[in-house]
This record gives sequence, C-alpha cells and structure tokens, in this order.
Amino acid sequence: MKVELYNRICAAQKLSRRRMLQGSAALGAALAMPKVALADSHAKLRAEILKIPGVGAGSPTDADWQKVGEMVLGATKANVAEGEFKGVELTFMGLNNQNLHNFLFRGFLKPWEAYTGAKINWIDLAQADYNARLQQSIATGTVDFDIIEMGAPFEGDVLGKGLASEMPGWVRDQIDMNDYVDYLKAPVGTWDGKTYRVSIDGDCHTFSYRKDYYDNADMASAWATEGDGSAWAPPKTWEMVQKHSKFLAGKTDPLTGLEAYGFLDPLKGWGGFGFYFLEDRATPYAKHPGDPAWLFDPDTMKPRVNNPAFVQAIQDVMDLIATPNAYPADQINADPGTTAFQQFLAGTGGMLDWWGDVGSSARTSDTSVVGDVVGFDINPGSEKVWNSQTSSWENTPNQSPNMAYLGWGIYVMATVDSDTKKHKAAWSAAAHLGGKDIALWMSAYPSGFQPYRNSQFNYDEWEAAGYDRAYIEDYLGSNLESYNHPNAAIEPRIPGIFQYYSVAEDELAKGYAGQYKSAQETADAIAAAWEKITDQIGRESQIKLYKASLGI
Amino acid sequence: MTTEGDLLHTVTSERISALRRRAGRSLVWVTGLGFLAIALWQGLYSFQKVGWGFDTWRPVLFAYLVWATALCAAQVIVRGEAGKRTLFILPAVLFVVSLVVFPLLFGLYISFTDWNLASQDGMKPNGLDNLRQMWNDTFFWNALKNMIYYVLAVLVEYAIAFGLAVLLNAQIRGRKFFRVAFLLPLMLSPVAVSWMIGKSMMEIRFGPLARLARELGWDRPSFFGTPEMARFTIMAMDAWTFIPFMMIMLLAGLQALPKEVIEASKVDGATPWQSFREVIFPLMLPVSVTAIVIRIIFKLKLADIIINVTSGGPGGATDSVTSFIFREYRDRSNVGYGTLLAMVYLVLIVIFITLLLKFASRFLERPQ
Amino acid sequence: MTDTARIFRDSAADRAHRAKWWTSRIAIYGVLILWAFICLFPIYWTVTTSFKLAPDVMKGNMVPWWDYTPRWKGWQSLGLSPDAIFQTSTVREEFLKRFLNSLVTSVTSSGLAVALGSLAAYGLSRFSYRFGFMKNSDISFFFLSQMILPPVVLALPFLVLYKSLALLDTRVGLILLYTLMVLPIVIWIMRDQFAGIPVELEEAALVDGLGIWGAFFQIVLPIALPGMVAAFILSLVLTWNEYFFAALLTSTDAKTLPVMVASQTGSQGINWWSMAALSSAAILPLVLVAVFLEKYIIKGMAAGAVK
Repeated sequence: MKVELYNRICAAQKLSRRRMLQGSAALGAALAMPKVALADSHAKLRAEILKIPGVGAGSPTDADWQKVGEMVLGATKANVAEGEFKGVELTFMGLNNQNLHNFLFRGFLKPWEAYTGAKINWIDLAQADYNARLQQSIATGTVDFDIIEMGAPFEGDVLGKGLASEMPGWVRDQIDMNDYVDYLKAPVGTWDGKTYRVSIDGDCHTFSYRKDYYDNADMASAWATEGDGSAWAPPKTWEMVQKHSKFLAGKTDPLTGLEAYGFLDPLKGWGGFGFYFLEDRATPYAKHPGDPAWLFDPDTMKPRVNNPAFVQAIQDVMDLIATPNAYPADQINADPGTTAFQQFLAGTGGMLDWWGDVGSSARTSDTSVVGDVVGFDINPGSEKVWNSQTSSWENTPNQSPNMAYLGWGIYVMATVDSDTKKHKAAWSAAAHLGGKDIALWMSAYPSGFQPYRNSQFNYDEWEAAGYDRAYIEDYLGSNLESYNHPNAAIEPRIPGIFQYYSVAEDELAKGYAGQYKSAQETADAIAAAWEKITDQIGRESQIKLYKASLGI
Repeated sequence: MTTEGDLLHTVTSERISALRRRAGRSLVWVTGLGFLAIALWQGLYSFQKVGWGFDTWRPVLFAYLVWATALCAAQVIVRGEAGKRTLFILPAVLFVVSLVVFPLLFGLYISFTDWNLASQDGMKPNGLDNLRQMWNDTFFWNALKNMIYYVLAVLVEYAIAFGLAVLLNAQIRGRKFFRVAFLLPLMLSPVAVSWMIGKSMMEIRFGPLARLARELGWDRPSFFGTPEMARFTIMAMDAWTFIPFMMIMLLAGLQALPKEVIEASKVDGATPWQSFREVIFPLMLPVSVTAIVIRIIFKLKLADIIINVTSGGPGGATDSVTSFIFREYRDRSNVGYGTLLAMVYLVLIVIFITLLLKFASRFLERPQ
Repeated sequence: MTDTARIFRDSAADRAHRAKWWTSRIAIYGVLILWAFICLFPIYWTVTTSFKLAPDVMKGNMVPWWDYTPRWKGWQSLGLSPDAIFQTSTVREEFLKRFLNSLVTSVTSSGLAVALGSLAAYGLSRFSYRFGFMKNSDISFFFLSQMILPPVVLALPFLVLYKSLALLDTRVGLILLYTLMVLPIVIWIMRDQFAGIPVELEEAALVDGLGIWGAFFQIVLPIALPGMVAAFILSLVLTWNEYFFAALLTSTDAKTLPVMVASQTGSQGINWWSMAALSSAAILPLVLVAVFLEKYIIKGMAAGAVK
C-alpha cells in the first residue's frame, strides 16, 4: 500500500485520535508537542508499525521485529533514561513456539537493550516442556529466571506461592491497563488484590467456517433435499453443526476439489490443550447463565464433567466418529495443531473451533490457502442447557464462548525485588512487551498472540494496514463478542488445572477409540480421575481457590 | 579383590615395601577424610548449623575428585602390577557409582511419596499407596502389554539388519556409498523423524507415503486409524531409525570373522547358505546377542516418537511404558507416582534382561 | 574370487555359473538400491522441505524446479539464507550458540565415554575382578543396567543434585550425564572387540618387556580402533540428539539444538521449513562424521586382519 494512501486513511481516524490522547504511551513527548500533532504522530506511528512488513508480504522476520521494537520505544524513553540499566542482567524464560514468542521478544527487546544498557539472557522452552519445567523449577526452588512469559492458568501455582513481584504503579500507567478487555481485568492477573500480570495476549475460542461451503449452490440444493428444511447457512448451534457435518460427509470441497468434511474435532490429546476443544462443545450445554461454575461444583469440587451436558458433548463427537467419512482419515490421530494448521488452513474441512490466531494466520501466514473463503463467528450455542442446581435440562437457547487459556502474560519474579535497579529494569522490559502499540502489531501479524485491548479493535487501523474491512470486522468481531459475552465460560485458575485436562485427554482417547461402552462411561472415568487429582492436590485448598477464581 | 583366573597372565616379581604400602593407604585415607569433612561441614552449613560455608556443594565435588584420583593412584602404589590391572576398570566404576548413587536413592525415596508438584503441601510419604494405585492402573498394564509387541519387533529388525550387513560385506561396488547411506537414518533426531516422517510424509492428502499407498491400490490410506496399523507404523518408524544401529554392529562382527574359516568351508564345497548357517551364523552369535540386547534396551525406552506422533493413541494402542510415565510425570506433574512406575519398570527390565542373558549364554560361551 | 575359481571349471558350467552370478548380482544391487532409497528418501524429503513454502509442503511437491520453486524460506527463518546471512539475526545467534554447545557436549562426552569405556572393557575382557560379591559378569551387568534406567527416574533427582553442585545449565553437567548415558554401550561394544583380539599378542608384548598398560596402548589399542570409532560414532549420535535432559537441565548457557528443533511445533501448528532446515543443519555434522570416519573403520579393519 502507498504511503499517501496510508496518511489519508490515518487522518480520517477520528475515533482512534480520541483514544490516543487517553493513552500514556507518549507521555514524554507530550510535554513538547501540541496535542493534535501528538495524536496525529501517534496514529501515524501505529499505521507505520502495521506496515512492517505489510499484509501479504509473508511472515515477518527478525529484522521486522527489531524495527517494531525500535518504533515503540517511546513509552520506555519516557520512564527510563538512556543507559540507566547499564550492567543489569536479566533472565527471561518463555516459549520458543515455531521461532515465535521468545524470538519476537528478542527482536522487540533488542532496541530496548541498546537503549537502556541492560542485557537479557534467554531461556527458550518448547511448549511441550513448559508446564513441566515451570512446575519443577518451583518445586525444587530453582527459579533461575527474573521474567517469565506465563499463561493465566498457572497463576494459582506461581502467584499463590508468592513467587512473583507486584506491579509498580508507573508500569500500570505505561501499559494503560484500562484498555484491557473486560475479562482480563481483575481478578485475572491479580492475587489477594495485588496486580502481577502484564497481559500480552487474550485467549478465547471462536468458530471459523468456510464461506464457500455456504455460498455454494450445489451444496445448498443438496441440503434442500437431504437437510432438515432449514436454510443452508453457517450453523449457530451445535445441533446444527452436527447435522451439517453428517450432511457434508462424502461431498466435494468447492475450493480444493477433494473430499469435504464438516466440523473438525481434534480427537488426539495435546498435552492438556486438547481438552479445551471438548469444552467448546460442552460449555453451551453446561454453562448455565445463572451459575458461574461449570467445570466443578464450587462447594465440593465434585467434577461436572460427567453430567448430562458434558456427556452430550462427548456423545456428539462419538456420533460423528460413527458416521462414515465425517472426518478425514486418521482423525483419531489429529491433535488441535493438525486440525487447525494441517487441515483447516490447508483447505480440509468446513468448520473449526480455535484460538483467534487462526484468523490472522489465514491471511498472513505462509501456511494458509483459505484466506479468502474463511468466515468467523462466536462459538456455536445450543438449544438446551443443563441446570446443575435442579439437575434438569432447560429447553432455552444458550451461548457460552470458551475463554480457553485466558492468554499469555509477562510476570516479573520476586527474585528482583531486593535490587531496585534490577527491579525497575525487569518491569520496564515487561512493560515494553506489554505496550499498547506493540500489541497492535502482534495481533495483526503471526506472533501467537491475539488482541486483548479494546484499542486493538479499531477496525480503521486494520483496514489501513491492508486488511479487508469486512474480513477484519468478521474476524475481530467474533473475538470481541466472545470477550464481552455475559455468559462466557472462564477457566478456573486453580493449581494443576492442566493435570485435569491431561488425564481427561487420556480417557477421552480411550472413549473415542471405542474402549468404553458409552459416552457416559467415558465421562465417569474422567470424573473419577479428577477426584483423585483433587484429593492429591488438596481438596480444601482447591475449593477455596476455585471459589476465589469464580468471584464467589 | 583378587585376580585369579586372568585371561592374560602376568608375572609379577616385584616386591612392594611396607613404607610404600603405608604411604599409599594414608594417601587414600587423608584425601577421603578430607572429602568427608568438607561434605559434613557443607551439610551442616546447608542446615544452618554452622555460620559459614560455600555457596554451593561444588567444592565437595572437587574434594571427591581428589579422593577418587588418590584412590586410583593408591592402587598402583599399594598393589603394584595387580593395582595396574584394577586401574583399567576403576575410573569407570567410580564415575558411574558417584553419578548414579544419589539420584537413584533419592528417586527411590520419591517413589514412595505422594508428590504432586502442584500440591501446596509438597512431598508426603505415603507408603505403598503408589504400588496399590499402579496395580489398578489400566493405562500402565496396557502400556506394558504393548511393550511385548514392541520388543518382539526387534527380531524382525535383527533379520533385516543382518541381511543388510551381509550384503554390505559382500563384494559390491559403491560400498562406501551404501554404508554411509544405510547409516544415515540413525543420525536424524527422533523429534525430526516424528515430524518429517510421521506427520509430513504420512500426511493423508499429499504426503508421499500416502500417495504411494494410493498408487499401490489403497484407496483411503490411514496410518494411524486402527490400533494394529498405528502400532505397526510406530514400529516401522522406530525400526527405520535403529536398523542401522544393529547393522553396523553386525557388519563390524562380520568383518572381524576369521577369513580362513570361511574360505575353508568354501573349499569343503559348502553352498553359500550352508556356510552361512553352519559357519557364519554361529560365529556371529556373540555379536548378535550384544546387538539384540542393546537394541531391546533401547526399545524398552521407546518414547520420543510415540509422544510426538500419537501420544499413545488411538486409545492407548501405541502407548509405551516410558511414554505413559512421561505423561504422568510431565503433563500431570505427578512425580511420586511417575517415579514409582519408572522404578517398577526398571526392576522388570532388570529381571527380563537377566533372564534374556541367562537364556542367551546357554548356547553361547563368552569369555568371562 | 570368481576369477581364480573359474580356472577349475569347464565352459558349460562356467556359463551357467555366470548366469547365476548375474542374477545374484542383480538381486543384491536391487535390494541395496531399494534400501538406500528407503534410507535416503526421508532425508531427501527433510532437506528439500527446508526450501519449500508451506503450500509446497502441503501439496507434497517433490522435485525442485519441476513442481515447485525452491526458496530460502526455511534458512531465512534461521538467518542463514544468502540474503540474511550478513544481517544481524537473533535467531541465527541462537542457532549457532546451540550448535556449538551441542558440538562441545556430544564430542567431549563421547570421547570421555570411549576412553573410560575402552579401559573398563579391556580390563573386563582380560582380568578377573572381584568387588565384594561382584564378579566380572556382575560388573558388566552393573554397567549395562545404567543404560536401562528410564531417564524419567533420574529427572528430578538430577535437577536437585545439579542444583546443589552448581552444575545446572553448564556444559560440564551435560557432558557428565551424557557420558554416563553412553558408557554402557561403549563398554559392551568394546568388550566384544577386545574378546576378539587374541591374548597371545599381548603375551608376546609382555615377553618383549612392555608392561600391561604399554601392551594395551601399543598393541591392543590400534587393533581395536575400528570398534572404538564405531562406539564413538554411536555415542555421538545418541548424545547429539539427546532431548530429555537437555530440556530439563539447561536454560541459557548450555542449551543444545534438539530443544530448538522440538520448538518448531506448538500452538501455531508447525513451521515445516524451519524444522526441516534445523533438522538438516543438525544432521549435517553427523553425515560428515559418517563420511569421514567411515574411512577409518575400513582402515581399522585392515589393521584387524593382521591378527
């Protein structure tokens, strides 16, 4: 896109200008500049950031990350003098996820290091090692890092043991925490009323579907004869997803000319992450609007995973397994990574639940072939909902998007608290990564991170960056709607939550392979295993923490 | 320590003076006591019984090294020629013992505790509860059953490896090329094997293996769809990696065979098959046993490929004990129970290998 | 072999013999080429994938310039492509650091294991030891049993041990552990090697006035060299690719390549090209070792023929 065109569009961004003024990211410059010019230059900065390397130019590289890091350094410069942290060494533990995460941070922080004089050592972990490594570090007292990239589900493990450093006020101002979407505001990121987390990511599952399936005349006419009489349109409930999936088995994909499939369920575990995908199916059935809890009974920690709501979700999957050609061959060995990146983005299958980065990847990642034909929506709802209080189905339509994983954040460890200079340096680095402008870039390009701030939903900026307006409203809209949904299913931040997921995956795999007689029996096996874990970790403390995380 | 029944007899006529003996012994004692003293002091310091000490236990390590060196030197000083013989084996023994003793004892202790890393209370000794849990754990027994299949597959691998070794040992052109080519699969890391082969080449739509399968008349190829097929695929991938390992051991064995014996059998008019069966194979038995035993041990630790490709699925059909322990230990941080499973597995393996070696030594005399 | 044999045969039998010879040749080369293909194709696939874009990987394109255009994508993501090689790249720094660490740890530990293991194996094959109740076979088994240990048994204990010895995240720590890991294999391989060397050689050397250590170094060692090279290569392969402990015990200074290869997968699917590039780069040194040391194996075999 041409520079003049950028500037013209940027000038038209009245909304963003107003919001920019609220921002504190350019505090330092504010003294010297008239307000209008400031807002303009800030908006321009954001537009410039989004041009690196430009939509359609392939995945960004290291040079791009460094450039972005350099451009957003303004906020740091306002709080830190040049060379202020000379001699400080920090250790940063994070993921190396396909050379994203830590590699991005490295590029982003390189200009920060050059400016402040601090030096950062890096611990890169593969995602599969992350949980184990963190738990072992805590258990053996080998906290050998000062800053950590961590998901909110682990807050129970880390914050609960007093291992993190409380966020200073100036960081709060620098990163503008009021801009966070609602579900990421307290209590997420806090513990006993103290704030610890610099968010860099928001997580929820949304529904992606292939528009070309639903624009296709042949499929529409086939549905008219084979279907249940409803219109051939993207499904809004799991009941419809089921019908469409069964209908699509054996049809031909209009894009690739190969076999068409309906909804892509990952039937294989993924180190615990696979369980989120059963939750997607279960939450509309299980999350009653009048009850914040849905995974356990808050008073007893009795699992709800074997109640009729979850059993219905398991049964739905089992029904599709039993339908010939409803899934691609080998689906039993497909984990969520496979369904999203090797199947859906590569043109196999019609519907998918995933984190929002499928949306940005569809357009910007080298892996995708479906960028032009993908549509987005909030997770499907259901036509009935289970009421755990009365132990009965209620035949009222329900929606409950799954806030799976709650998003990555940057936490500073208590190891820096004894050293003022180090403390400030660590928090400055965290704030740099959690900055408002860097966030915009991270959600627009393959980074592994999704939008988590209201300012990231300014569609004008996206359009200016070269995104198709309709597409971006569709994609970001599904996220925004989920984040602000009144009946969202929020994940419990209790210690060991991934142990529950992991064992559930093992049992589900057995169920899907037909080793249990029914969905109910599978669910009962999961519930039994969960009870065991709860007893092992300590039922009383789990109840207390679960209630706290639900806000009751 | 005696050296009766040596294969290599040495005549020792030297006389070692009492003074020299005493000097050697005291060397060991002085360094040993020094080591113990430092260790004790550091132990007291770490429990805060004494006011000063070292930041880490590393000086204790150095003291240990000094003692170990002194012990080795003392062998020669005190016992002369006999000591020189002991010196061959002592460094390796000391190395292994010192590196393994602490972790093993600590591991043994862990395995009888209830230790979930996420638990707020930390480690709780729980007697035999873990054993009881194991007894009722269908995942564990299922994995153990799978191991039987996996181990049996070693025989097939051995047959293929032997055949390849014989071919490589024959008069062929381009021997170097074939040797290097056959060796290469061993070099690829298991992680890369899992992904590049298990996930990329076996991709159902376009993977080269899936396309080949379609060419060969398999309409809807599925490499992991059924339990049997998934298990076979895992075995094949593992075999692909490790056949070269057996092959080079066998090839080395073949090349070390005395040429005269084989020539003699040829002169006697034996057919190639006869000379193989009557002469080569029996001569190759010791190497074969070594290769198979080491291979079985590797097989018993099979985990990487399973973890990456199937996570034990479908429904536990490809789960190996190690991959199951891995999930229990790492994904679920259930350290106490996971370690117990590993310990039990270790005992089972030791028993199994002992029996295997006993069985093998029946028809093969190796010099002890 | 056939030339000398032919002198004793008449012409009819000679023709039949030659036909048989040809069929066996064809069969032998057929099998060899088939197996070479099985061995090499996945490696070819890996190396070429590092030059593919994702759609090429997805479509399973196989022949460069014919069904896809090779690109530097995978190598670019490591900062090793022609256009990126002169720019600063944090990924390349990371890669090179890990590469060096892998090299140092695997070579040192393999060397150490071969040294310690050969000595022990020689001792076990020549002398009878008694440590308490343990005889030679028990000692051998003791060494072997170290290999049996499932690594997870040792994970947490080693974490605790290394922490107190300040060996966490050091090359020395990894080297010690890797040496322990491959020592049993070395001992077992070398024991068979030494067992195959006739004792008379050393006895003659002893008569000539060499000590047992002198005989070992001057007579036995050269003969056993091929076995040692084989043991070294095996150790190198195992330590080079070791993942579990590398992920557990290192963080910043001593981290190795396999963890980086594993990191190419995760919540954003998989970067085929960079995983392929990393795997190719990681296999390269081992290929060089195989090509280069192969010569020594053959040389050593020639020395072995002396016996």
